[in-house]
Amino acid sequence: MGVPSVPIITEAYMDLARSVAAERGMPTLRIVFTPHPIWGKTPAQLHVIVDGPDPVTGKAMMKEISDALTTPLSPEDQEPGLQPVSLGPPVFGPNTSDDLQKYFMNNGMTDYLLIDIPTEEKVAAMLKGTSHHPDEEVGKTGGGANGAWHYTVKQVAVNAVMAGCDPEYFPVILAIASSGRLALEGSTTSFCNTMIVNGPIRDKLNMNYGIGALGPFAQPNATIGRAWTLMGKNLGPGAIPGQTYWGSQGNNLNYNNVVIAEDEKSSPWTPFHVQKGFKPEENVVSLFSGWDVRQGHGAKGAGALIPKFDEQIGSMFPTLARMFNCLAILDPLTAKLLVDQGYDTKEKLQDWLWKNTTVTAKEYRESFLAHVWLYPRALAGEQPYATWWKASDDTPIPCWPKADDIAFVVAGGQTNAMFQIGNFNYIGSVSIDKWM
Amino acid sequence: MNRRKLLSLLGMSPVLLTGSRAAAEGGHNGDPKARSTGSAPKFTALSPKGTPPPVMRYSMAPSLSTLEGKTIYLVDTGFFGADLLLQQVADWYQRNMPSVKTVLRKKAGTYPTDDPKLWADIKANGNATIMAIGH
Repeated sequence: MGVPSVPIITEAYMDLARSVAAERGMPTLRIVFTPHPIWGKTPAQLHVIVDGPDPVTGKAMMKEISDALTTPLSPEDQEPGLQPVSLGPPVFGPNTSDDLQKYFMNNGMTDYLLIDIPTEEKVAAMLKGTSHHPDEEVGKTGGGANGAWHYTVKQVAVNAVMAGCDPEYFPVILAIASSGRLALEGSTTSFCNTMIVNGPIRDKLNMNYGIGALGPFAQPNATIGRAWTLMGKNLGPGAIPGQTYWGSQGNNLNYNNVVIAEDEKSSPWTPFHVQKGFKPEENVVSLFSGWDVRQGHGAKGAGALIPKFDEQIGSMFPTLARMFNCLAILDPLTAKLLVDQGYDTKEKLQDWLWKNTTVTAKEYRESFLAHVWLYPRALAGEQPYATWWKASDDTPIPCWPKADDIAFVVAGGQTNAMFQIGNFNYIGSVSIDKWM
Repeated sequence: MNRRKLLSLLGMSPVLLTGSRAAAEGGHNGDPKARSTGSAPKFTALSPKGTPPPVMRYSMAPSLSTLEGKTIYLVDTGFFGADLLLQQVADWYQRNMPSVKTVLRKKAGTYPTDDPKLWADIKANGNATIMAIGH
C-alpha cells in the first residue's frame, strides 16, 4: 500500500505474528497486541481494552499505535534484499541410537514415538523403492503465510524411514508428498487428514481393508499414515505449537491420519478412484482434509425387512460442520444392504441423501461457520450461497452445495453392517504409478 | 538483523542453525540425561527437513510525522469482534484526536483473502492503516 500500517493482534498469537512478519520480509513490523480473545466482548468491554494497555508491552494501546505509525524508521526497518535461510547440518551425529532418538524428539522432528533412525544406509534402501532421482523435487508446501518450502525425493525418503515404512510403500508416500498437502494443518480448530488408496498396490503391499480396516492392524496402513504426519512436521514450516500450529485441543487422528484401502472386490459399487476418472488398474491415493470421523450405528426402521441405512446415514449429516463435506466409510455389508434398498450406484445414494438431508435457512444462517466462511461468498454473489442466504427462515437448505460433495468408500471386515462418517473435503487424487 | 534472531523469528530451532552441528553430536544433545556409553555403537542420521524459501526483506513505508489531520483507514479482517473493536478505535480518535479522520472498511472475502481494491483505495486516499483483528 505504501502507507504506514499497524496490525492489531490478540496476545495469544504474539509468536505467530512475529514469525509471519519475519517470513513475509518485515521482521521489525510494528505490531500492537490486545488481550485474548476479542471475539465475544461487548462494546463496553472493548472500550476498556482500547483505553487500556497492550498486554505484551504494558504501554497504552492507542499510544503504541500512534508510535507505530509515526516513529521514524530505523536502518533495520529499511533493509531490503534476499536473505537465504539455512536449517543447519544435513546430518546429525555420529551418536548412539538412544541419543539420536532424543535429539530428533527434542527438536520437534517426531510424533514423540520412537522412530527408525534414518541412517544413510536405510535411506538408500528406501530410495530403491522408486525410479526417481534422489535430488528430484517432489513438491512444495506452505506458500501461504509461511512461504513455500520444497522437498526432494531423498528428503521424503528420510521421513519414510523414520515412520517405519518398507521401501515398497515409498511410491505411495511420494504420491502424497507430491500433492503439497502435508498433514498437520495449523488451524485453531485442529484439522485431521484422510487418504483412500485404490488399485492393485493395496494387495501388493498387503494393506488391510478387512477386519479392523481403520485400526492398527497392518504395517502399511500404520506407517504410510504416520509418514504423512512426519512429513507435516519436517518438510514444510512444520507444526510448532504456538508458531505454525495453533490447534487449540489438537486432534488424536493426527498420529497416523485415517488410512483407508478400499475393498474394491467386496464393494458393490464403482471404486473411488474410478469415480474420479482413473482406470481400475491404476494405483491412486486420494486425499481429504477436515475435522473428524464419527461412528454410525444401526439403521432406521427397526424390524423392517430391509433396514434403512440411507436414513440413518442422513440423520448424521446435520451434525456435521458444513465448512467440510462428507466422506461416508461403509462396511461392505452396509453397502450391500444399501443396494438392497435400491441404491445400485453410489450416485443414486448421493442424490437421495443430498435431496433428503436439509436444515432450515434460519439454522443455516445461525451457524458460526456459515457466517464466517459462506456469508462472504454469498455477499460476493457466489451460488448457491447467495440464494441460500436470502431464503426465508423455513426454506430447506441442503447440507452441501452439490450431491457429489458426499463421497463414499467401502472398507471393513463384514463382521457387522457398520459405517463411519467423516467430515472431510476431498482435496484431490494423485497417481502412485508415477512414483514407482 | 542478527541472523540468529531472524531464524528464531522464523520458528526454526536455534539448535538447527548452521554452525550448530556440535549440538547434534557427542553424547549430550543438550540433554544432561542423555549420556552416551563408551561401548554403544554410534550412527549418523540424515536430517528430515525440507528446504525453506529464502526471505525477501522489504522496507517499511515511511512513517508519518504526526497523525493530526490525517486519514486513517480502519480495516476489518472479518474475524468476529474486529468490527466492534475498530469502532471503539474510531470513537477513541473522535474523543481524543478529533482532527484524525477514520474510515472504517471491511476487507473483502474471508480473513485470509487479499483485497487489492481496498489497498488501492487506501493508497490513494489514506495516510495510514490500522488492521484488526488477527483472531
